[in-house]
Amino acid sequence: MLIEILQQTINGLAIGGVYVLIALGLTTVFGILGIAHFAHGSISMFGGYLTYFLMTGYGLPLIAAIPIALAAGVLLGALVEMLAYRPVRHANHINAFIVALGLTMMVEGINLQFFGHEQIVIPTTLSRVFDIKGVTVPELRLYVILSAILLVAAMMIFVEKTKTGQAIRAVAENRDAAILMGVNVTTIPLIVFGISTALGVAAGIMVGALFAIAPGIGEGLVVKGFAVLILGGLGSFPGAILGGTVLGITESIAAGFISSAYKDVIAFAVMIIVLLVRPQGLLGRAP
Amino acid sequence: MNRPLTTLVWLLAFTALAMLPQVLSVKYYLHLSILALIWVIVAQGQNLIQGFTGYVSIVQAGFMGIGAYGSTLIGIHFGWPIWATIAAAPLITALFALLTGYPSLRVKGHYFAIVTMAFNLIIVIVLVNFRELTRGEAGISNIPKPWDGDRDAYFYLALTLAAAMTLLAALIARSRVGEILRAIRQNEDLVGAIGIAAWKYKLFAFVISAMYAGLAGALYAHFQGFINPEIFGVAQSLDAILAVILGGTGTIAGPVIGAFLVVFLPELLRFADSFRLILYGLILVLATIFMPIGIVGVAKTVLARLHRPGARHDG
Repeated sequence: MLIEILQQTINGLAIGGVYVLIALGLTTVFGILGIAHFAHGSISMFGGYLTYFLMTGYGLPLIAAIPIALAAGVLLGALVEMLAYRPVRHANHINAFIVALGLTMMVEGINLQFFGHEQIVIPTTLSRVFDIKGVTVPELRLYVILSAILLVAAMMIFVEKTKTGQAIRAVAENRDAAILMGVNVTTIPLIVFGISTALGVAAGIMVGALFAIAPGIGEGLVVKGFAVLILGGLGSFPGAILGGTVLGITESIAAGFISSAYKDVIAFAVMIIVLLVRPQGLLGRAP
Repeated sequence: MNRPLTTLVWLLAFTALAMLPQVLSVKYYLHLSILALIWVIVAQGQNLIQGFTGYVSIVQAGFMGIGAYGSTLIGIHFGWPIWATIAAAPLITALFALLTGYPSLRVKGHYFAIVTMAFNLIIVIVLVNFRELTRGEAGISNIPKPWDGDRDAYFYLALTLAAAMTLLAALIARSRVGEILRAIRQNEDLVGAIGIAAWKYKLFAFVISAMYAGLAGALYAHFQGFINPEIFGVAQSLDAILAVILGGTGTIAGPVIGAFLVVFLPELLRFADSFRLILYGLILVLATIFMPIGIVGVAKTVLARLHRPGARHDG
């Protein structure tokens, strides 16, 4: 029993890491621009597809394909901000959300057009399996967890310690005051979208290596990402990290002990219960 | 436009639609027109919560599914006549909407959208996995059709119900409740501050919009004769949102025009084949950026200008 719980926790940490990366991108975008960037999941999956394509189409090794996909993510994120969201910045927030829905359709369409209907798995050579006192830990899962921790730490350091990070926090805190202090509010959203999308692409690659990428996966993932935000609390970095981990582990344990078909239902039920008891989220500030 | 002129336009539109079965020689277009009329009901419901109240709900197709499966399953297990099951569908959907609306409406804006979408996903997951009841992904076929599947008769049924539901939406919009819903959209805190329990009105709008969807779902099931979970997914809920936006948010004519667009536009884009989804998304993005008031909004602006010659043209 205990071993089974530990086993599912390890599994949950890997998928939880993916959720945290998706949620960090979403929460940063939300904090700066107040946009629910719904296309985030599909764009992340585009990154996963691209990695697969670079490896199988051009014969690049995984280690070379990843940086290219991440760079493509930065570029794509900046483009999306500039072409799609900037024109509706001053309109009603509903408009930005509808633009996000339209973008999702477009990106899903592009994914289908270029990468097809078949599900793909990003091939890796990490096939060893460690056995720690009865708990099996696949090497790949371990690397996914470690890279997620590394990326989250890098993001935290960037936002907390660098000047650009300070500017991002300033815009999130008070846009008008940030403008008065000489923060360039045109480039900040570009940077935020670039970084967020790169984090999403990293998550997309992880999903592609751990499970598989197929049409519709991105949409499911972005809904989970928002569930994490609701769980953790709006705009809260620690909230996103805690929420993602909790959601990942809850889902794994639910899949292991209750029903794998209904694991998503259980994950959403947790989200709805948190909403009822604590509408501001686990680590969110009271309104 | 003034009141008599508006009424005249509505009557003309209704008459034109009523003549469609005589005019349309291609039966496939009649089929699409029936679907469009069913979607008018869905879109009118979506408009009540999205357009008037300002809460973007992404569960309309899920509620259609509850209406469709509800009507079908009651017919199979209890042997009720079709009319009784169709009438029961909105009531079953209302029950689900009460249960889901209460937690969803505790949050605002984007959060509300995401929570309702989670409910849509849950509905689909249950429809897929609760095989004993729903027969899973394979779906239920041979659902009884009224009038032995006579398409013309079904067209008039759909037309009558779509017109009645549009009229009901107009009455709600014009009533005191409608005023409060619009006030909630503009400033919810203010509504609370003058002593109105906004949550009751929001829940009312949510439940009514779900009943619209439930009715439309039942009509869909007994028209097509076949349902499966895929038809009631998030993508179809997005279509309902699209219908409201394209037609004109918060207007009565908007959802009617929008519903016909979302049913016929993908057919017209058929030439684009696999680029269809990309094109469809692009139209949505461009329409929101350049025409956020929808077709009806644009038409109203144009008419207002024509009525006031010499009014400023700089726009």
